[in-house]
Amino acid sequence: MSATLTDQRDSAVQSRTFPWHVARRPRPRQFDRPRFLVLVSVFTMALLFVPVVVVLLYSFNGTNSLVQFGGFSLHWYSSALGNASIRTSLWTSLEIALVTTALSAVVGTMLAFGLERGSRRMVQVSDSALVARLVAPETATAIALLLLFTQLGIGLTRTAVIAGHVALCLPFVAVVIRSRVAGLNREVEEAAMDLGCTRLGAMRLVALPLLWPAIAGASMLAFVLSFDDFVTSYFISGVGVTPLPVLIYSMLRFGVTPAVNAIGVMMMILTMAVIALAVPLLRLGRRRLAVSQPD
Amino acid sequence: MRRPNRRIYDFLLLPGGIVQLLLFLVPIGAVVLFSFGTTNIVGLPKIGFTWANYSEALQSFYIPVLLRTALFAAVATVICILLGYPLAYYAARYAPRLGRVMIAATVLTWLVDYLVRIYAWTALLDDNGLINNVISDLGFGRVQMLGSNGAVVVGLVYVYLPLMVLPVYASLTDLDPALIEAGKDLYGSPRATFWHVTLPSTRRGVLGGVLLVFLPALGDFATAQFLGGPQSAMIGNVINDQFTNSGSATFGSALTVLLLIVLLVGLLVVGRFARGAISGARTGVPA
Repeated sequence: MSATLTDQRDSAVQSRTFPWHVARRPRPRQFDRPRFLVLVSVFTMALLFVPVVVVLLYSFNGTNSLVQFGGFSLHWYSSALGNASIRTSLWTSLEIALVTTALSAVVGTMLAFGLERGSRRMVQVSDSALVARLVAPETATAIALLLLFTQLGIGLTRTAVIAGHVALCLPFVAVVIRSRVAGLNREVEEAAMDLGCTRLGAMRLVALPLLWPAIAGASMLAFVLSFDDFVTSYFISGVGVTPLPVLIYSMLRFGVTPAVNAIGVMMMILTMAVIALAVPLLRLGRRRLAVSQPD
Repeated sequence: MRRPNRRIYDFLLLPGGIVQLLLFLVPIGAVVLFSFGTTNIVGLPKIGFTWANYSEALQSFYIPVLLRTALFAAVATVICILLGYPLAYYAARYAPRLGRVMIAATVLTWLVDYLVRIYAWTALLDDNGLINNVISDLGFGRVQMLGSNGAVVVGLVYVYLPLMVLPVYASLTDLDPALIEAGKDLYGSPRATFWHVTLPSTRRGVLGGVLLVFLPALGDFATAQFLGGPQSAMIGNVINDQFTNSGSATFGSALTVLLLIVLLVGLLVVGRFARGAISGARTGVPA
């Protein structure tokens, strides 16, 4: 009698939750769900969100105090959008991020194929360079670029910042795409080549469409990394090139204004919009992957 | 392989390799080169060979800065594990649907601009800020928090915490729950199961998180600049001064090389720790 009761309870648990609770025996008064875990989780979520709420709240602040809240107002948004230097910086940041995204997506995809399928020695060399780059703090790599550019007399222009951002984003892009290249079924490409495709043709017509979601995801990552990047931009941007985070830095250093909060909120909305745009693309790609890779 | 033209894949490595070479390896080489360099009369760096920059950097004034930097980064990393692991664990194991929302929310906070996130803490930690208002309302009096070492560590934790949560969450969702069940079936207490099954199985995620938090924290300078005081400057602040204000690029280069050396030492320590964790998991020595 009690056994059937347990079975019933088991199936109820199974139907409700997946996948963690599937084979779980009901142990109501167990140490299993420690209260401290809930406490720490709640505390951490609060820690993560309180500053964000502060930014959001003060971006609508009616007074220009950073400590007192004086009524709701869109003043800081209009002053931020009405400021010519902020608008210029926004366009600079967008332009840099878009060019960086395109370049690192193309180079990163090639790199991913090379890393996964190249000869062992070449792969070892490029792999260790990538790992070293991922491990080095951005301050060090940015200063290294600054030193090289100034010593060679290369101007600290928009192009220089883009070069720095491509170098920054490339390892991440390559790592993301590479994991998908590793999962590709090589036989499909072999089949295409048996049907008369060249190796490059097989890559373009067979592998690339399958990689589309990974490439879109990696591009999204590159965009966010570049658009939000402060350290590299800060060191490499010269006079007349001021990406938005660098502008925020100088605003924070000289003369505090809550407009920074409004800019921060708008930047967050923009990056979220980019991600929201990329998600349907990823879905599309996944469907395609499902069609061409029957299990 | 039947077809011989595999070298095409090596050629695909070329553009990325050139980017890595010209925009990473050569610049780092330049830093090492100029760290031995001298400066000319107007203070511009010149190639040469002298240990002067290193002996200046290893003066008693800069050693505490280097040690403090390593300490801040290490403490921030440990706090990130202590806060991030339980959050990721709760999200992955106890709340399948809510968990995904929690992780998405964590990413969302990371999307707020880095400097704006740091700056939000000045509003919180200020002498007249939110936290002090709450404390004084409770009758404890105001505490000066802004400008302290603690404020810098709090800032570092906040800035890099999402980078700890994500890899740990990923490794926890990959963990087969049957393993935990097996630990229980073998009469392991929940605590023993956690130490001998769950934690070793997710060490890759923790390690990834440690790298993502510790390494950028070592080079961070904006956090200490906005939240810290003169007594809590990190090595990144000193390096920044050398390159952007009236400093010496050769001296800054030497400091950067020292920072990279501290980083390598940190990596070796983490690597040894990781090996220990792995062998501990293999032998399964009971506590």
